[in-house]
Amino acid sequence: MSTTQSRETTEDTVRITGFFSGRSELVVTALLLALAVALTIGTASMNVMGDTVPGPQFFPWIICIVLYALTVLHGLSVLRTRRFPQGTDSGNPDFSAEMLAELGDTQRTEVLGASAQRPRRTGRVRLYSDWATIAWIVGGIACFILVLPVLGWIISAAGLFWAICKALGSTRPIFDIGVAAMVSSISYLAFGLGLGLSLPAGLLGGLL
Amino acid sequence: MDQLSHLMAGFAGALTLVNLMWVLIGALLGTAVGVLPGLGSSMAVALLLPVTFSLDPTAAFIMFAGVYFGGMFGDSTAGILLNTPGASSAIATTFEGHKMAKSGQAARALATAAMGAFIGGLIATTLVVFFAPSLVKLATAFGPAEYFALAVFAFVAISSVVSESIIKGLGALSIGLVLALIGVDGISGSVRFTGGLPQLFDGLSIVVITVGLLALGEVIHVASRIHRDPSALRIPASGRIRLSGADFRKALPAWLRGTAFGVPFGVIPAGGAEIPTFLAYGTEKRLAAKRKDPEFGTTGSINGVAAPEAAGNATAGMAMGALLALGLPVSATAALMIAAFQQYGMQPGPLLFERSGDMVWTLLASLFVGLVMLLIINMQFAGLWAKLLLVPRHYLYAGITVLSMLGVYAVSSSVIDLWFLLAIGILGFIMRRYQFPVAPVLIAVILGPLAETSLRRALTVSEGDLGYLVSSPTTIIMYLLLIAAVALTMVKHAASRRKLRSEAMVLQDS
Repeated sequence: MSTTQSRETTEDTVRITGFFSGRSELVVTALLLALAVALTIGTASMNVMGDTVPGPQFFPWIICIVLYALTVLHGLSVLRTRRFPQGTDSGNPDFSAEMLAELGDTQRTEVLGASAQRPRRTGRVRLYSDWATIAWIVGGIACFILVLPVLGWIISAAGLFWAICKALGSTRPIFDIGVAAMVSSISYLAFGLGLGLSLPAGLLGGLL
Repeated sequence: MDQLSHLMAGFAGALTLVNLMWVLIGALLGTAVGVLPGLGSSMAVALLLPVTFSLDPTAAFIMFAGVYFGGMFGDSTAGILLNTPGASSAIATTFEGHKMAKSGQAARALATAAMGAFIGGLIATTLVVFFAPSLVKLATAFGPAEYFALAVFAFVAISSVVSESIIKGLGALSIGLVLALIGVDGISGSVRFTGGLPQLFDGLSIVVITVGLLALGEVIHVASRIHRDPSALRIPASGRIRLSGADFRKALPAWLRGTAFGVPFGVIPAGGAEIPTFLAYGTEKRLAAKRKDPEFGTTGSINGVAAPEAAGNATAGMAMGALLALGLPVSATAALMIAAFQQYGMQPGPLLFERSGDMVWTLLASLFVGLVMLLIINMQFAGLWAKLLLVPRHYLYAGITVLSMLGVYAVSSSVIDLWFLLAIGILGFIMRRYQFPVAPVLIAVILGPLAETSLRRALTVSEGDLGYLVSSPTTIIMYLLLIAAVALTMVKHAASRRKLRSEAMVLQDS
């Protein structure tokens, strides 16, 4: 069996090593399926109150059907075509790039010279997602949520700010400590004391 | 001229010192987030939504309006100077704007863009003032069947017609609809999909969803790429930011043409400013080709900047009317504005003008005030705004993360909301990673409850007869338009898929 692969790619971005190469999007199919199953269970086991017709299960059933259909269609489309990352930023999926190109007439070259496609930064780059940085961010946020009730806003938020700066490639960790402390204190004063939002005071609560 | 007296009363409310201050804060914040690449006004409104919770509604909305328009003013700055548009609504401006900047006319391009945004916004807001009452009258004639048709129209238009992929668009829409289902059902009182958590009885907070998808999702997405993508080169804005009389005369027709494209898209749920800006750009390009304009596409034409920028702000202005009078969000940012109203227990739509008339007219008046302020701060200080581009990206995104946490925690002081936020943020990242559109989720979350209740009410009224849904001319027209648009989209998508397949490389599966 041969599979076609969407868009043109250069040799080095294509590495087929197994079934999942270029098919990692099946994660989303699984997500849609999980959502559909959860919705089915939730709807079937719902404790219906009142006797309105159509009742509270009516709309969820419609969405269930749509979700199962979409899961199948999405799964098929991923299985049919292996996709590999290409280019740097692939633009905004909210809008069909092709439709915008047609509306904007961006392909026309006579007289004017092509105005290229979406503006995009150039240069050769590594294309796959940077999981280490993502882990830093998500881990940092998880830690922040865990320590927030204990340490209070100022310390936890400063820690979060610092961790994210570090993950995103700041080269001045010591200087960042100062910036982080400033950001968290100012936000505490402005929003907590100024606008009256309730932020946990935590350990420093006694001092303020 | 009932509207004029209302508007004058609105100005009396808007021109107080406190309200002027809120407009100014909103305008400054909006321009700032607009200038910064990757941050749009939708993210700014999402982040501000929770922290303004303690303000009085009028002040909060005046500020949001400033942010909303400010984003449209600012987003072209980064596009012109860096070739990285601050938001997708500025892409069309960037084509010619960056060419002008490269040929040493950055200041002229920035001034044209600011003036264009002002003119587009001004005309659209004026139209809103005069046509809002008619829209309200139209909307009061709507029954449940019409509202359901309107919601379906918005759902399908945003998820399928304008987005990159129909399957992905509908997938995003369904995710949003499921999120909107969580909580106690308003009609029957049944508890739905809460997993037994009492915190979810009121539904998953809209703040959690919007901040998670727009802010945190974007931060994680940036993290996944920041060590991969090279950074862009900046062109300094040199020279005075002002327009000569000749430039003004040259750009004026383009501004007006752009506005004409922008206004209708303010009431069509087609995702906001992207389509009209591209349409405006395309028209200028065709006109330039006809006139053999040598600047267009080489050194950059002032018209190519003027038209899209006016179109973008005209759409934003008109969208304000659609959301106030009909309760219809045409884009993600408009959906957020509706969420903001819901936060304060108000439902945008025909009743809003009756119940909170004072506030609405003050808001409309402050739009005019905001536009004038924005014109001044963008014309006079464009060079200063460009300095914002020097803020290191890691501080920016760290700040966004901290602010998201602050906002979500502040709404209900519960840690569990923060976990939901993280989960939605990861969902937002996965969606960006696999090119799923985010706008349909927000539209579904906002309009989902309306769609469900109006469908159920319609079927209760008709005793289960589905024919009732298409019994009035309004509904029939809407569904026919929708079917035509979807059919056209499918044909286009199929054609482009065939083209891609024929160009694609064929690999032997091992």
